[in-house]
Amino acid sequence: MQAWYHCENVYPFVPQEILDRAESVRASLPNKYCDPKISADLFEECLDEHLLCDELGINVVSIEHHSGINSLYGASPMILGILARQTKKVRILSLGTLITVRPDPVRVAEEYATADVISRGRLEIGFVKSGDSEMVSGNANPVGYVDRFWEAIDLIQKTLTSHEGPFSWEGKHFIHRHVNIWPPVYQRPHPPMWAATGDPETSAELGRRGMVNALVLRGPEASRRAFDAYRDARREAGLPAPGADRFAYAALCYVGDTDEEGLRVGSKTLWFLNTSLKQSPQMSKFLPGRMPPEVAAQNYRTVPRPGAQTARRPADSLIGITAEQAIARGILCAGNPDTVYKQVMDIYEKVGGFGHFIFIGRSGFLDHREAEKGIRLMAKEVLPRLPAATSTPTAEPSRAAE
Amino acid sequence: MTDAGRLTVHGIELEVLRRGAGRAILALHGFDTIDPAARFLDLLSRHGEVMAPSSPGFGNSPRPKDFDTVYDLVHLYLAALDALPGDQVTLLGFSFGGWLAAEVAVACSHRLEKLILVDPLGIKVSDRETPDILDIFNRSPDEVRRRSWHDPDRFAPDYNAMSDEALVVHARNREALCLYAWHPYMYNPQLPRWLGRIAAPTLLVWGASDGVVSPDYGRAYARLIPGSRFTLIEGAGHHPEIEQPKAFVERVAAFLSE
Repeated sequence: MQAWYHCENVYPFVPQEILDRAESVRASLPNKYCDPKISADLFEECLDEHLLCDELGINVVSIEHHSGINSLYGASPMILGILARQTKKVRILSLGTLITVRPDPVRVAEEYATADVISRGRLEIGFVKSGDSEMVSGNANPVGYVDRFWEAIDLIQKTLTSHEGPFSWEGKHFIHRHVNIWPPVYQRPHPPMWAATGDPETSAELGRRGMVNALVLRGPEASRRAFDAYRDARREAGLPAPGADRFAYAALCYVGDTDEEGLRVGSKTLWFLNTSLKQSPQMSKFLPGRMPPEVAAQNYRTVPRPGAQTARRPADSLIGITAEQAIARGILCAGNPDTVYKQVMDIYEKVGGFGHFIFIGRSGFLDHREAEKGIRLMAKEVLPRLPAATSTPTAEPSRAAE
Repeated sequence: MTDAGRLTVHGIELEVLRRGAGRAILALHGFDTIDPAARFLDLLSRHGEVMAPSSPGFGNSPRPKDFDTVYDLVHLYLAALDALPGDQVTLLGFSFGGWLAAEVAVACSHRLEKLILVDPLGIKVSDRETPDILDIFNRSPDEVRRRSWHDPDRFAPDYNAMSDEALVVHARNREALCLYAWHPYMYNPQLPRWLGRIAAPTLLVWGASDGVVSPDYGRAYARLIPGSRFTLIEGAGHHPEIEQPKAFVERVAAFLSE
């Protein structure tokens, strides 16, 4: 199994009374509450954690979120550029720059190709649909964003695989009449592609495309549903059954020397759920386009009607969760190495296997020293015991350019 | 005549509300479709036949695939004008529908007997750092409610009291509005240049307490339409037809009878 270290580079230092007063901790919280000197320290620490992963054989994830305490990584391609140069061995997954809020996917393809070249073919490209406050901070129309997501992926893939001179793209959402990026990608035909999603329809399309399906903080049941949809779609399309290498599971995770330490430090990551998810209603439940009107309609009631279909996002059920609940729901793995190994394998069995374990090893007030300790224990005590991933027939792209 | 029926324009099926008889009044709704129980409808229908279609995606009108721009809406209503009997039509547009009505009037002024714009959107008048139009998608629901109504406690919709069907219509309205008008937000940068082409007699009606688009925005709008008149209704916000239906219809009727 491949392990991936995922750190959102959160900014937990805004006083709680300000967060309590704010309608949202994303998009509209003034950036005067973000100290650039503290931010510089945080970037240095988090990037150093990625370098430690490089030493220890743990792959790294570069994420992107915008305009809030939940992440300072607002520009994933810039971080990719740093990781591509400073790491030497491990694979680097962008999960991902928000293509539904980027007006020109060709520029995204150019940035990815550059990072793939600098890293000499160690890049993996993940796509996320985004939504909610990032539609607002990104000035992107939330209605129709799923169609935009797929067209952006199509255009990026075409851009990365075209080498014979300019092509023209006049799509529904994107128009770019002269596409011919330099440098081209290092890996041919293109770096492996991923997407983070939990909805079975999207997973089915990922299955048909052979992309890696990552589920982030969704728990084993939702992951199993998504992976089953992926498998079913491939079977229906007459494609070979996927190996575990097509599936990724992401959870908050901390490995300590003892159960007490693992749980105590790992619980700090729940800040991500309990504090950083607060969004204003107009940027979440009332934002059009995120769910069908038939479902969204019930959001307008302050007094729910008995039996009415609810319209909560998956994240809504995570706010206020305790460590015990989070562990029971497969959102958090925490304890000594044996305990974490058992927790991961329990999820693995429930889900039906996965080839990639993405561990969110730092969040909230979990500090750099603690994060590095957790990474070392993961690399030395847990990762070697995890099962090898089965691979998917009909090779997905990973060959380096001649 | 009272009839909630259907209308097909250029192959596009629209839900349409018809009320009254006589002079044709084509009414284009704002953020929400027109409530068949709205008092102003009955009052207005004494002065003509009001036809109020729900735009594609709004109300119970389906939205054809790839029908997703203000350009589509404007051409739909230009086609609707062609399809209506008689030489001339009075065009009445509320808020977002006022924007559409202004666009239609620019393109087809000769088909209009009169044009009435009620707190219309559609243009930008202030500098680049001053939004003219309240962002109903990005601002808090409380602020939007407060700025939309002169007396929100009395007139703002009570979602808890609405039927499931009415709430679904409201959610459809918001989704369609967002699709059409997210960017540029509720205006066409080119429209001010062309408003001068409107030759039909034009009345702009404005709620004095409108916090979505201010009366000053309305006065600027009126200055761009030659010979137009601007009238303010006290005790009303963005929806004078709902908060002051009697005063609203009196002003409109007086204008129609001129």
